[in-house]
Amino acid sequence: MSASTIDQIQRRFEGDTVPLPGKRVRQVLSIVLFFVLWAALVRFGILGFDKFVGPETTLVALVESLAGAPMTEGGETLYEHAAFSAYRVVVAVLIAMGIAIPLGLTIGTSRRWEDALFPALEVFRPVPPVAWVPIALLLMPTFRSGVIFVVFIGAFFPILVNTIEGVKTVEEEYVQAAASLGAESRDIFRHVIIPATLPSIITGVSLGVGLAWITVVAAEMIAGGVGIGYIIFQAYRLLQTEVVAVGMIAIGVLGYASAAAVHRTGHYLTRWEETE
Amino acid sequence: MSKHDSTTDDSTTAGPTPETTGKTGAIDINDLTKIYDPEGEHVVAVQDMDLSVGAEEFVALLGPSGCGKSTVLECIAGYLDPTDGEVLVDGNRVSKPDPKRGVVFQENRLFPWKTIKENVEFGPRMHDSIEEGRAESILDEMGLDGFEEAYPSGLSGGMQQRAELARLLANDPDIMLMDEPFSALDALTKEIMQKKLLEVWERDNRTVLFITHDVEEAILLADRVVVMTARPGQVKDVIDVDIERPRDPEVVTTDRFTELRERALSVIREEAERALEQEDGA
Repeated sequence: MSASTIDQIQRRFEGDTVPLPGKRVRQVLSIVLFFVLWAALVRFGILGFDKFVGPETTLVALVESLAGAPMTEGGETLYEHAAFSAYRVVVAVLIAMGIAIPLGLTIGTSRRWEDALFPALEVFRPVPPVAWVPIALLLMPTFRSGVIFVVFIGAFFPILVNTIEGVKTVEEEYVQAAASLGAESRDIFRHVIIPATLPSIITGVSLGVGLAWITVVAAEMIAGGVGIGYIIFQAYRLLQTEVVAVGMIAIGVLGYASAAAVHRTGHYLTRWEETE
Repeated sequence: MSKHDSTTDDSTTAGPTPETTGKTGAIDINDLTKIYDPEGEHVVAVQDMDLSVGAEEFVALLGPSGCGKSTVLECIAGYLDPTDGEVLVDGNRVSKPDPKRGVVFQENRLFPWKTIKENVEFGPRMHDSIEEGRAESILDEMGLDGFEEAYPSGLSGGMQQRAELARLLANDPDIMLMDEPFSALDALTKEIMQKKLLEVWERDNRTVLFITHDVEEAILLADRVVVMTARPGQVKDVIDVDIERPRDPEVVTTDRFTELRERALSVIREEAERALEQEDGA
């Protein structure tokens, strides 16, 4: 078979004769497929899904919630719950960044500070954030700040660990080059260490934000009073499975949106990095 | 024949100082020994090396790979502490990096997070001496006008190397330490860079210590070619390059150039054979 025939066949498969769906279409298809699977699981009661709500009912509930109907009897709207959860995540992540980034830069650059601080932090690191809920409830009886504290714990460690790792992997060559151009250690910190660590910090923040959403839902289920995690668990107790599903969708959307925001910001801040 | 009249000095007395010559940038290497000892793996990179480079002289350091050339350069730059002996610059002992001693390496060390202009202005900025338009004119001279706002990742290897040279020149060092700066470039770009370097050096009166493993490059550029032995590194031979300046790349076709090249090659060949024998014996 000649090369041109092979070419032709390839073109026929890739090109116009057998049209593969475009990217957008495939993405929509994946969501449609998900709903079909969900409906089938509920319809045929696979894995006990007949006790759960199907996509049709959920969609109705979702539209109602988006129109501003209260989530449970006399309660807050979806927007209010979402705003509370988002507020907790944003505040907790900002506090975590404010502490973990300077701390990580210090530990990463100074052997002495590392010896003084890191072992203690390493002991706390494997403790799951949710395990801090009882302490948070004891120390901060108002639910709101308690949840923020727990979410802060969740976001703190990924940012800290990645910042430290980032500082330690700064290439010595850049430090030498800066010194040979007349930079003092303060200049080196500002012009070399911090920008060179930025990509790792951004990785840490995006992991931290992901963990913050996981933690906020868990913490709100136990001690929220308000918020998406609270409403999911409250709806479960009231057997309003369609509200549970709406809450899950809301968390998914918020998590996705915040991950995209972090990614965009990070990409802009490190636009000097090699593309491709 | 040239304005550079210093010769290698085997004694360990202090070399010429700015007070005696009126020029800055003299390097004196006295009894330099550098031993690397990571995890008990005793490696003598340089042993009892003596070398003097006169102020405003262009010296090429030539030798087989792994002969400790880079170690010597890093000791002069102040990145490494000698195990024994010392490096003097204008009579002062080197203990840390200094903007008077600029360094260029084979792989570029431009700050990737700064634009080309920010990179070039980094040195002046460190001592608050940014002059409006100076970075632009240096970049222009290096053929990089229009790339001021680009990041290094957006430049080709040859352009990055030119930008690095621009960054060095903007800092106005007395000494330029260059570690195989052009060896990763293609032949044509390399020739352009060599020409550029000669132009800049002939104009600006700086000391250059240029490490290379390319014999022709060494002879084309330098006043003196210092051939090093295989590890442990020492000075094996010093060849005076009595070819008139300004030189251009065509001098490689002259008889004198061929003679010098043959002489350098024979020294290197001898050294390479000795290194092989050493390895066989080990």
